[in-house]
Amino acid sequence: MRYLMLSEGGDAPDEKLFAEMGAFIEEMTAKGVLLATGGLAPDPTVVTSTGREVTVTDGPFAESKEAAAGFALVEVASREEALELARRFRAIVGDGRSVVHQVY
Amino acid sequence: MGGGVRARLDAVWKLESATIVAAAAAVAGDVGTGEDCAQEALLAALDTWPDTGVPDNPGAWLTTVAKRRALDHLRRLRRARPDGDAVDRAGAAVAGPGEGAGDEVLRLMLVTCHPVLPARERVALTLRLVAGLSAAEIARALLTAETEIVRRIAAARAALARAGVAFDRPEGAEFTERLGSVLGVVYLVFNEGYSATSGGRVLRPELVREALRLGRTLAALAPDESEVHGLVALMELQASRSPARIGPDGAPVPLHEQVRGRWDPLLIRRGFTAMLRARDLGGPPGPYLVQAAIAACHARAASDADTDWPAIAALYAVLDALTPSPVVRLNRAAALGRAEGPEAGLALLAPLTADPSLRDYHLLPAVQADLLERAGRPADARIHYERAAALTANDAERGFLLRRADAVAAPGPSRGRSLGEAGAAFLAGRSGATARSYAQTLARLCRALGDSLPLADADASAVAGAVVTAWGSASPRTWNRHVSTVRSFAAWAGRPDLGDGLALRPVARARAAPLPAQEVARLWSLPGVGVREVVLWRVLHESAAPIGVVLDLNVEDLDLASRRAGAVTWSATTADLLSGLVAGRTRGPVFLTDRRPAPSRAPASPRDVCPETGRVRLSYERAEYLFKSATRRLSPSGLTLGRLRDPSGPVPGAK
Repeated sequence: MRYLMLSEGGDAPDEKLFAEMGAFIEEMTAKGVLLATGGLAPDPTVVTSTGREVTVTDGPFAESKEAAAGFALVEVASREEALELARRFRAIVGDGRSVVHQVY
Repeated sequence: MGGGVRARLDAVWKLESATIVAAAAAVAGDVGTGEDCAQEALLAALDTWPDTGVPDNPGAWLTTVAKRRALDHLRRLRRARPDGDAVDRAGAAVAGPGEGAGDEVLRLMLVTCHPVLPARERVALTLRLVAGLSAAEIARALLTAETEIVRRIAAARAALARAGVAFDRPEGAEFTERLGSVLGVVYLVFNEGYSATSGGRVLRPELVREALRLGRTLAALAPDESEVHGLVALMELQASRSPARIGPDGAPVPLHEQVRGRWDPLLIRRGFTAMLRARDLGGPPGPYLVQAAIAACHARAASDADTDWPAIAALYAVLDALTPSPVVRLNRAAALGRAEGPEAGLALLAPLTADPSLRDYHLLPAVQADLLERAGRPADARIHYERAAALTANDAERGFLLRRADAVAAPGPSRGRSLGEAGAAFLAGRSGATARSYAQTLARLCRALGDSLPLADADASAVAGAVVTAWGSASPRTWNRHVSTVRSFAAWAGRPDLGDGLALRPVARARAAPLPAQEVARLWSLPGVGVREVVLWRVLHESAAPIGVVLDLNVEDLDLASRRAGAVTWSATTADLLSGLVAGRTRGPVFLTDRRPAPSRAPASPRDVCPETGRVRLSYERAEYLFKSATRRLSPSGLTLGRLRDPSGPVPGAK
């Protein structure tokens, strides 16, 4: 089962956080769990459709201006495992939130 | 909250079991204790986490507790059996930084895949300790009973302890060999999931996932080993096709019909990355890397028509040189059939149809059928698709092959009776041992030639080929039995010519050839032979009774006056010797061992024990051995008791 974890928020990154994050990513890659990960730029573009109309809105958006964001695609045996990974991640990065989706 | 403590602990265990068990095993010096300590750590977590909350890094917490338990274990050992060194060493391992968790996990895998264990025990132990699966989960994945998995794991632990397998990292050639065993186990798990050999499903994703996880872990632990990356590349590339491999009806979709857009690009990319890593390490490519290169050829091709078949055929030739096997040659034939045309493939495949190791391998007729179909021989193709369907143990695959059989050609109209129908009619109305023997021959013949082959189209050379492949290396008696059946069937079916390619083989008479009289005479005077042996040999010679019957005689069975016991008879000279042998005994076996058996080996039946001496009946094996040893003077390799039988039957007058 694959899960996509979208995260935002967290303490202002310093060297310690970078080091801990790096170690965590390395550990999860070595365990064969983490398939892909990356940071997300804070100025996304939103494409919405209503009826037959498609609207493109450029960021940045107020609520996500300061927040660091990122994604991780993991392959695990259960939802509980995905949640354990999210917990470990949140304990490292500090305040903020992660949304965990199962990938079909 | 994402579940209670129990659920969280399960999830953590699944992610961290390898690290926890390996750390404890490194301290204790053996995997069994490591597993026990890890289990104790889980219990400790269940005890304390509900009160203290789950720690930020639960895996690290469990590892620390398990290592402490391992150290406690060593301390207890020291009190029982002082060995200060071991405890001191272990103490350093707990306190100091050690070699890092990675090395320990690698050592754990080297132990759970140790060559002293049978392959199925390696798989069970690895899935349990390294992948963190429960016995129930392993049983479900391997389609077996949980008790069987528990038994395999216990047997594996016992075997490792018996063999004194150390929890260390071997060097040089031994490391390469042990690592090869780990790779073999990982690929076995992968294949069990990717091309399930039995059961209703073709794909068992949980096993594919575990194998990938094990392989990726191994790649991080042994980054300098080219074949590790080769195996990972092979698995990632094969797994990338999973979404396209199974049709909506659950049947497998062959490579050339798969919708390539459904191949997983993420896994393809990972596969290529692993392959590049292997290549960067240099050295001659190993078999996993060559197989990965073949998978990469498919991954690169935008469509089936774009596939670089000449490259694939060449890679199979390389693989056949590295690990020669008929299965590799079969794949090479399939690739060559695409590269140079079906006739080239069929030519390469022809010798394989006579290979006994492939006679039950469903992919041989499947490839054969595919090549025949491409060669424009639909009727022949149909027969081989049906043969393949009859050979596979996987339901989905059987359905697929039967559909291909139907698609390639309608069942041959008005070609008369098929081989399968004729065989069934031949067997109808027969019963007993003969019928069973006939059925065995005909089942093999139908499997080799195809149930649906019209009898009219069968030819003698194909029949001969099938019989040679099946029984060419059997004993002359077995060979003759099957050949006779084929001939009777052929005659019965009105095609006596079908047996033309088959000749009966002479049966060696040496087995039962009795010893010439002058040789027998020498036996009675061989030096160093006891009275028991002489009596046994003489009775065998004079009565011509089966050896088992003579050995089974008891003193109470003997009618010494009329020199007989049931159908067993003997001469007057023998009678004197026999009276001496049983002197003073009234019951129990006539022929006894020299010594009483060890208490643990007491025979089951009281009839086999002498009530006076406690000694037991002489065994057939022992009697043969003694005769063989004694007769080395007459023949370099010794003789068998069967040759004592007098060709003229019981000695005249003995009755």
